[in-house]
Amino acid sequence: MKAAPTLDGRLRIDVETELDVVVLKSVIGDAAPETGSLAEKLADGMAAEVDADWREFVLPDLRELYDAQVATVARALADLSPGTAIFVARDEAESWYGAFNQARLALEERYRLSHKDGAPITPERRTAVIRSHFYQVIQGMLLGFLMKE
Amino acid sequence: MSATQTVTKEVTALDQPWNVVVHDDPVNLMDYVTWVFMKVLGHPRPRAEKLMMEVHQSGRSVVWTGEREMAEHYTQQLQAFQLKTTMEKAEG
Repeated sequence: MKAAPTLDGRLRIDVETELDVVVLKSVIGDAAPETGSLAEKLADGMAAEVDADWREFVLPDLRELYDAQVATVARALADLSPGTAIFVARDEAESWYGAFNQARLALEERYRLSHKDGAPITPERRTAVIRSHFYQVIQGMLLGFLMKE
Repeated sequence: MSATQTVTKEVTALDQPWNVVVHDDPVNLMDYVTWVFMKVLGHPRPRAEKLMMEVHQSGRSVVWTGEREMAEHYTQQLQAFQLKTTMEKAEG
């Protein structure tokens, strides 16, 4: 896989192998939280005076936003095969970043990747670390090339 | 006797300021958090970086203080960018 900015201000990701397809598409499954919803977790700890209204009026919109981010990426990856290229435009960059961020947040929750608690390095945990790092590299390119002015 | 009854409610303005608090997490990139503070709160880069470092080092930072309606707006925006953000009444 190769990824680089284009002269017309997009990010081009060249998919070269079947493994590239598998790795890229894994972001869709990884973005699903282990438990609950991301919106609830990010709002956990709100002042009591605000909490009920927040859950009723704000969280549904946030859930919809997060779902739309993953759907944007899922559509772009739907017909992916070796030898194809994906182009991420500037106006889609935040959605892409958000989808990859959801995946990294969910992997962190599921595998406690940042915890130095002596948990055994299982094959699942090892591949989760690799995927999380890969997603982080893509995020860095989106942020650096497309999102910043 | 009138068929209708007038009920008068006194509405007290809730002018106590609210804090918007961003909490640390092990996932969001430092550069991204700085960018979000600049984009959502309109902070210049040095101020945004200072707040980001406060989140990173202290575990939380009050990134904005003011009236409740605006605090709700900023909190929603920061959560939309997937930063763990809460509101609390400012002391004093």
